[in-house]
Amino acid sequence: MSVVTPRSFSRLIIWILLIIGAFLCIFPFYWMAVGMTLNPNDVVKGILVPGNEFLKNVEKATANYNLPQFFLNSMIIATVTVLVGVSVNALAAYGFEKFPSKARDWLFGVLLLTLIIPQIAIVIPLFRLVAFFGLLDTHSAIILPFLMSAFVIFFLRQNFSMFPTEIMEAGRVDGAGELRIFVQIAMPAMKASFASAGILMFISQWNSYLWPLMTILTDANKTLPIAMSSMMNAYTIEYGGLMVILTVSVIPVLVVFLAMQKQFVAGLLGSVK
Amino acid sequence: MNQKGSFAKYLNRMGWFFVAPALILFSVFMLYPILSSLYLVTRKWKGFTDSFIGLGNFVRMANDSLFWNALGNNFFLMLIQIPIMVFLALVLAVVLNQGIRRFRGAFRLMFFLPCVTSLVAYSILFRILLQTNGMANNIMLDLNLLSEPIGWLNDSFWAKMTIIIALTWRWTGYNMMFFLVGLQNIDSEIYEAAEVDGASKIYQFFRITLPLLVPVILFSIVTSTSGMLQLFDEPNILTNQGGPANATMTAALYIYRQAFVINSDFGYATALSYMIVILAGLFAWLQIRLLGGNKK
Repeated sequence: MSVVTPRSFSRLIIWILLIIGAFLCIFPFYWMAVGMTLNPNDVVKGILVPGNEFLKNVEKATANYNLPQFFLNSMIIATVTVLVGVSVNALAAYGFEKFPSKARDWLFGVLLLTLIIPQIAIVIPLFRLVAFFGLLDTHSAIILPFLMSAFVIFFLRQNFSMFPTEIMEAGRVDGAGELRIFVQIAMPAMKASFASAGILMFISQWNSYLWPLMTILTDANKTLPIAMSSMMNAYTIEYGGLMVILTVSVIPVLVVFLAMQKQFVAGLLGSVK
Repeated sequence: MNQKGSFAKYLNRMGWFFVAPALILFSVFMLYPILSSLYLVTRKWKGFTDSFIGLGNFVRMANDSLFWNALGNNFFLMLIQIPIMVFLALVLAVVLNQGIRRFRGAFRLMFFLPCVTSLVAYSILFRILLQTNGMANNIMLDLNLLSEPIGWLNDSFWAKMTIIIALTWRWTGYNMMFFLVGLQNIDSEIYEAAEVDGASKIYQFFRITLPLLVPVILFSIVTSTSGMLQLFDEPNILTNQGGPANATMTAALYIYRQAFVINSDFGYATALSYMIVILAGLFAWLQIRLLGGNKK
């Protein structure tokens, strides 16, 4: 690389713009955190120094709005989706990639084709199906339709293509069954991809709005996004308590992001590297 | 020979075994709904009973100016927001890649941070922030940037701007990440050769960086377009059900309201959603044409 002559003025402009940009990105998080400690009027007005109503707001969020229940509902739904969903999709990705056949390749093409269909078009007939099964207003209604994800299968299949088939053959020679080869050899080698896929499925379920909005009817079954959005429709909005619930809804994803940045970004962008 | 044949059969059986759970879920929760929509689209609901009306739902759609207005809003938001966001994301990516040497990781992290918020959470935050007596107006009034408060959520022009600003906040860092990956895949030898030839940084950007990034930029435009076509959370929460006076009504929100809020007409909602599927298919076809043509 050649030596770049320091052009301090344009440098300065770049730094100022970067700092303004970064400030705009993190400011809402700061404001949300401060908002937890303020009374409703001060939240709206935009007071930016912490107040002393934190405990009061926490109490509102838990006593008036049953925050622990919403959190638990969201957590159960997202966790079950990740555990079962990643398994189902990983098995399928492995089957499509490592056991090639014309019929399965054709089916894989059909799977990919359905990725084009926007969610709003699927949820209407899906609603009637779920109602027919008698699953309205249950966690199963939110989990079952989104366990299989064509995108996750596609993502994992790409990653499985880097897993050498020779290792599978060596396992077969040693007398291991196919399922055992998958669980004991392929899965440990693919940990990073599984983490990305798991994060992707966790977030899309944790943040899901349209489908739970249609299927959840009672307070006790509400997820965090549904609970928050219905708080905004109340006659008087408890802004302080709302800020507590907002923060609680953001923290799990924030923690996963900070702890596993690489897999998080890979999952969201749908590619590794 | 015979043994080889039976081993191939065994592998084929195992293949079906691995894909079976996913295929069953796919058939029940994806294929069946798609097929049943073909039935729904020919029915008209009145209260709890429905009757056959053939293509009547499509005739109704053709004359539904509210729906076309909503779809127009989708395209308006698309045409304004995506170029702004892609431009900002590109500038940030180039600056983080070449413009600075220190704190790259920290800036990348901060710009990506909006992506951890759910669409519902950030829509609520922006709705509180942008109330007429809210913080954004208060700060700008205090700094004398405004003489009177802006009706971010009550004025039909500003409500659209509100959605654009919020979307840009949420997604610029996400797109920046695509561009960063794209920039890192460009061979640094090309730049070294350009330096030797005495090409300026600006010349390098327009003649080397930009052309090599075209596939990534197209990909990001396509992804954003398909997201914009389905825009739902923001107009429903941030601008309170597509308000004011349908200024931010989008197609997806209109369909949802037809099926669940105003009417329970699943037949008509299905017909409207077919229009969205057709548009999504069209965009996907364009994507394959554009990206496929660049691969050679």
